[in-house]
Amino acid sequence: MDWGTTLAVQGLHGMVYGMLLFLVASGLTLIFGMMGVLNFAHGALYMLGAYFSFSILRWSGSFWVSLLVAPLGVAAAGMVIERFFLRKVHAHGHAHELLITFGIAYIIEELVKMIWGNKPLLVVLPPALSGSVAFLGIQYPVYRLFILFVSLLVFILLFTVLFKTRIGIIVRAAVANKQMTDALGFNVPLIFLLLFSMGAWLAGLAGVIGGPYLITNPGMAATIIIDLFVVVVVGGLGSVEGALIASLLIGCLQSFGILFLPQFAIVFEFLLMALVLIFRPHGLLGEAR
Amino acid sequence: MKIALRNAVLLMALLLLLALIPRLVSEFNLNLIISMAIYSLFVLSYNILFGNAGLLSFGHAAYFGMGAYTTIILFKKLKFGILAGLFAGAGTGALLGLVFGIFVVRLGGTYFALLTLAFNQLVYAAAEKFRFLTGGEDGVAAMRPKLALPGLAPIDMFSSVNWYYLVMVVVLAGGAFCWYFTRTPLGRLNECLRENEDRARFIGYNVYASKLAIYVISAFFAGLAGALAGAFQEFVTVTFINLDKAAEVLIMTFIGGARYFWGPILGACFLTWVNDLISSWTKHWPLIQGALFVLLVMYAPNGLSGLVMSLRDRLLAKAAAGPRPAV
Repeated sequence: MDWGTTLAVQGLHGMVYGMLLFLVASGLTLIFGMMGVLNFAHGALYMLGAYFSFSILRWSGSFWVSLLVAPLGVAAAGMVIERFFLRKVHAHGHAHELLITFGIAYIIEELVKMIWGNKPLLVVLPPALSGSVAFLGIQYPVYRLFILFVSLLVFILLFTVLFKTRIGIIVRAAVANKQMTDALGFNVPLIFLLLFSMGAWLAGLAGVIGGPYLITNPGMAATIIIDLFVVVVVGGLGSVEGALIASLLIGCLQSFGILFLPQFAIVFEFLLMALVLIFRPHGLLGEAR
Repeated sequence: MKIALRNAVLLMALLLLLALIPRLVSEFNLNLIISMAIYSLFVLSYNILFGNAGLLSFGHAAYFGMGAYTTIILFKKLKFGILAGLFAGAGTGALLGLVFGIFVVRLGGTYFALLTLAFNQLVYAAAEKFRFLTGGEDGVAAMRPKLALPGLAPIDMFSSVNWYYLVMVVVLAGGAFCWYFTRTPLGRLNECLRENEDRARFIGYNVYASKLAIYVISAFFAGLAGALAGAFQEFVTVTFINLDKAAEVLIMTFIGGARYFWGPILGACFLTWVNDLISSWTKHWPLIQGALFVLLVMYAPNGLSGLVMSLRDRLLAKAAAGPRPAV
């Protein structure tokens, strides 16, 4: 395998992980933009997606059913978190909101360990998604291409809704200026509830498709939350476009970092974050607030 | 005057009790009390940031772990004495605090929380990768050396009782400083920065330098607590530095209550004790701890100490009002 192919393959790896990261990060950054809440439980919701999918797959025998149902379950969990926990502490300020989502993440993690155990779980893929295809002169796993396909599809859907529909305009207005949107007569708490559960749905979907790829295990929330936070800081809190750029950047940093300096791949990520915070404290595309 | 006298008497009684504890409890419980003391110092260092400065850090384990690793590695490789090792641990904690503080204290709120978390992970990754020094996942072990004081024969630190007294002296000195710190001009400014940073700047304080100094002081005591914890276990691994440890100190401080000086100590002692009590019959203690945390965040933001104080106020008010006349 020559260098050109290696680079192309690593770039593709980076894209796959980056797009997966974007699915989770887009919800996180929109939620932050709208309510100023950094949802610590977002990684836990992603993990919940993977575990729901595992159980639904075992029960129904079909990966496609779990792909459809599990994210809805996570969205419902998100709704509960917003309605019964987050909203109650909203009046106490952002520190309390951060703390409550942190506590919920902690509880979800423990619950997952209690229900599904500490060991990594193996998800059996349907035959259509296992194996590999000849691609760029090499064999590339079908499943990774599937991840890329699904995340691109959702990404296009998300951008269409966000930038081409009336609902999207209202959400973007609420992210830009919550008070004004409220004053214009829109039901901001309802929008936020829906946005939060949509973010949870996206995280859950990422969990379902990411589980077989990154291995379903109780540590997956803690692993992704770090990458997520780097993405939202680098991209700018509240910016979906920024999250897209940052996600792909992190994905490529990891895949190329592993190629050149396997021991210190993780350091590049923090270096990037530190540099962004020093020179552009509000992120690549974030607005100063 | 009367209150000062009462406080002095209470303090003396407490010190006497602490001095007598090794005679009163079993070795097992003595070790539990040593743990409580070490965690008390850790939460006090954390509360300088969380309670006093209003800065929510998710990365205080970095300094704790740094202290622990430094002390154990110095015991092992350079045969440091116990006091030198402990203070070197605290010193490297403070040094790391200075390096990270330069970046993090510029930011407030959510960004501060995020960046402290990221730095914590950076230190964690370093501890995991620098195997030649830290032993990676396997950790490093070293025995506690003897305590050499001038003019005295070396004191054996292998005995729990002697070790208990040393820990108590260090923790009490550290705790006393943390308390004294809240009364110094810098400590007062710390609270002022929490309430209104712009005003402090307007009056002419150098906000950045003050915050950095406060951050370094907090990291110093976290490092000292870590050094004690490392020397206590005679062993240190990445669990001293991971996210669970960073979460633990936050949870202890919050459950105890950040508003009162003794709140975090209550939280550290309570959780250490209950953890020990409960872990023998359920392994789901973290779940209960998380639920307690969420309940307190929702209904009692000042933690257990806040609950105690409001209960006390209510009782005092009732006593002052006298018995309710029968209708």
